Amino acid sequence: MKTIARAVFTAALLLGTSLSAFALERGGTLTYGRYADSLFLDPVLNDANVDIWILSNLYDTLLLPTDDGKGVQPGLASEYKLADDGMNLTLTLRDGIRFSDGSPITPADVAWSLKRAAKKDNGIWGFMIESIDDVTTEGDKTILIKLKHPDPAILAALTVFNTAILPQKQFEASPGATDEEKAKAFAEHPIGSGPFVLKSWDRGSSMKLVRNEYYWAKGEDGQPLPYLDGINFELIPDDATRILKLTSGEIDGAEFIPYSRVNELKSSGNLNMELFPSTRVAYITLNVRPQLGGKDNPLSNPKVRQAMNFAVNKEAIIQIVTHGVGKPQTSYMSTATPLHVGDKPLYPYDLDKAKLLMKEAGFEGGFSTSILVLAGNQDEIAASTALQQMWAQIGIKLELQQVDNPTRTQQYRDGTFVMRNAAWTDDIADPNEITSYFVYSKTIDALHTGWKSDEADQLFEASQKEMDPKKRAEQYARMQEIYNAEGPTVPLYETPYPVALSKKVHGFLQIPLGNNIFAKTWKEK
Amino acid sequence: MPLFSFVIRRLLQMIPTVIFILIVTFILVRLLPGDPASAMLGDRARDADVERINRQLGLDQPVVVQFFYFVRRVVTGDLGNSIGLKVSVSSLILQRLPVTLMLTGMSALIALVLAVPLAFIAASKRERLPDSIIRGAFQMGLSMPVFYVGIVLLTVFAAQLKLFPVGGYGDTLGDRLYHLFLPALTLALSFAAVLMRNLRASIIEVMNAEYVDFATAKGLRSRVILFRHILRNALISTVTLFGLQIGTLLGGAVITETVFAVPGAGRLLIDSIYGRDYPVLQGLTIALAVLVSLTFLITDIVQAWLDPRIAR
Repeated sequence: MKTIARAVFTAALLLGTSLSAFALERGGTLTYGRYADSLFLDPVLNDANVDIWILSNLYDTLLLPTDDGKGVQPGLASEYKLADDGMNLTLTLRDGIRFSDGSPITPADVAWSLKRAAKKDNGIWGFMIESIDDVTTEGDKTILIKLKHPDPAILAALTVFNTAILPQKQFEASPGATDEEKAKAFAEHPIGSGPFVLKSWDRGSSMKLVRNEYYWAKGEDGQPLPYLDGINFELIPDDATRILKLTSGEIDGAEFIPYSRVNELKSSGNLNMELFPSTRVAYITLNVRPQLGGKDNPLSNPKVRQAMNFAVNKEAIIQIVTHGVGKPQTSYMSTATPLHVGDKPLYPYDLDKAKLLMKEAGFEGGFSTSILVLAGNQDEIAASTALQQMWAQIGIKLELQQVDNPTRTQQYRDGTFVMRNAAWTDDIADPNEITSYFVYSKTIDALHTGWKSDEADQLFEASQKEMDPKKRAEQYARMQEIYNAEGPTVPLYETPYPVALSKKVHGFLQIPLGNNIFAKTWKEK
Repeated sequence: MPLFSFVIRRLLQMIPTVIFILIVTFILVRLLPGDPASAMLGDRARDADVERINRQLGLDQPVVVQFFYFVRRVVTGDLGNSIGLKVSVSSLILQRLPVTLMLTGMSALIALVLAVPLAFIAASKRERLPDSIIRGAFQMGLSMPVFYVGIVLLTVFAAQLKLFPVGGYGDTLGDRLYHLFLPALTLALSFAAVLMRNLRASIIEVMNAEYVDFATAKGLRSRVILFRHILRNALISTVTLFGLQIGTLLGGAVITETVFAVPGAGRLLIDSIYGRDYPVLQGLTIALAVLVSLTFLITDIVQAWLDPRIAR
């Protein structure tokens, strides 16, 4: 029966794809409801997902992430070659590519953009291309990147928003004395080479993009992309209102659909409820310093952490918080992250084992502790309330402390928090970003927890220069093994990106890294 | 010219009020845990990044020095730049505050249109069926939370009946008034309930006053008695309440603007608190303080006009 169902499903899918390809329509404007407005449209100096996830529509990079978010494909550069010693990268620009103002994209623009992105203290993303030593040009199409050391992630890094190519002359002609002042002025009317151009931005209300006439990529019909004439982003922070606007047909799509509404929208006749695979993981961070607030900290004992992990019924949490949309984590990194290892859920629910571990750790009677919860955040409140009940089974009395985000961030950064709710998404198609924050103690003390494994630190440092894919995969497998066994987190679940679209909208994609890709989106009239 | 000197006197009194609010706001925002750099950079910030941003923003200076710079800028009319949005605070306020003003203005108008006639009906049919119905209905308006009323109105009048757009803010003035009607009505319902109850009580009180009996005995027409004697006197306390409630209305706008996706100052205020965007928070608080003070002034002027004894 399952096979038949699968065959029917596949046939329907194929039919749907071929029909949609056949009926492709150009033109029209898509209206998309966003939960929060962008802040600053500079690829290097921005710091938030509200910017990152739409930047690729305005600015193009030399290379692009593949649709599954795990690989690399040509972007502004049609060819790329990493030298055998891993120390030099040669890229060739496409023929005839132009910025949205019609000026040609030159190797000089590329060299200047990459150097600006790699400059120390310019923004917070430079660490992803810290291996770049120098960028030079050759002729009118070739860029040579010299590296300080072999960097297995350099290709993936050239797909990340901060390495977007900007026109040097236009940027430097912007008013202002410093790079930041110029960026502020430039980002009000950005000139990039992405599929769209910013037409107007009414902060806190709407952002209008129109198609970039000079965009290089071609559509299925052989004509230049994008298919749409424009996109109107409407800012609708309230979930219920955003959904109401979508169901009443006032907008064509809406992001961040609450999990509680996913099933309802799935059965709606005129909507497609999309659940795009993501790199998003939700977890509890535990401060493992031996002493906290002048007292001994039970969370510093790996057995206690393991007990807490075994005492959590992840399936129940997934039902309570994500209404069944999520799935249990099999490693600290998501299944969509390259080099992820693991096919079994971490710490299957086992109360007896948890009690035994608590006993072995000397905490048979349990202890009192607390967790920081983002005030008003329904997901975190639901998860923490469930944890409170689950951990009570092993004698842990959990107090929920609701605070706002900056308050929590301060306690987090100071290392004075006890536990907190947290979530993560990757920005790069490589496991090194999440690992540098979660595992490697020299970035931010392993999520500010004070956790440290010398072996994992050494493995990470080695993996950052390891050019043999097999060896690097082994290093990552071992790091995951160490961290999953005794790390400072309680992994809860991974979730897809819930986006609801009108049935008339086709070809929209949110890749696992979060980027909203509108280049191939089209809309039936 | 007692009214003119009264207005001047009250305007001068506003100055220390605004200075006081300026100081308190400046200190209060800095007492909140968390700093702008951490709020802006989020969980992934490294210490070096946070320190660099704080240095750039001048937040590594002693608070007294920061206050000195702040006052020096404010005196020249410069409210600084938003930390998160990277644009000038004055441009943000000029863009967002008029939206909130239009919203609160509309809802005040709707509240008056609802409350005044119904208060009359309720007062004149005191303790009878119309009175009970009116009071019961308003009690409901008062007890329902603003966000709930908003969602109900949106679902019924916008999504189902399609009489109004589902939130948002238009491009032309007419379009904007159309977009703002439902949020204004949402805000107006609880406001109208407060006004109605107060006005009803005042009318009943004035109706029993001796001068009304005297006017009736004089044989004045009932409409003259109603407008010249009853309404004018009953309105005095309601005007006071109206002025005081404008502040509450601005507070309610924060929630309404979120539910209805209206890009007003209320939402800007919330965002700037969560973002620890000190310049926006300070600038907006000053602007709102001036605004509320002006509302009180207008309230006083109207009162003085209604009852000339007040201006003396």
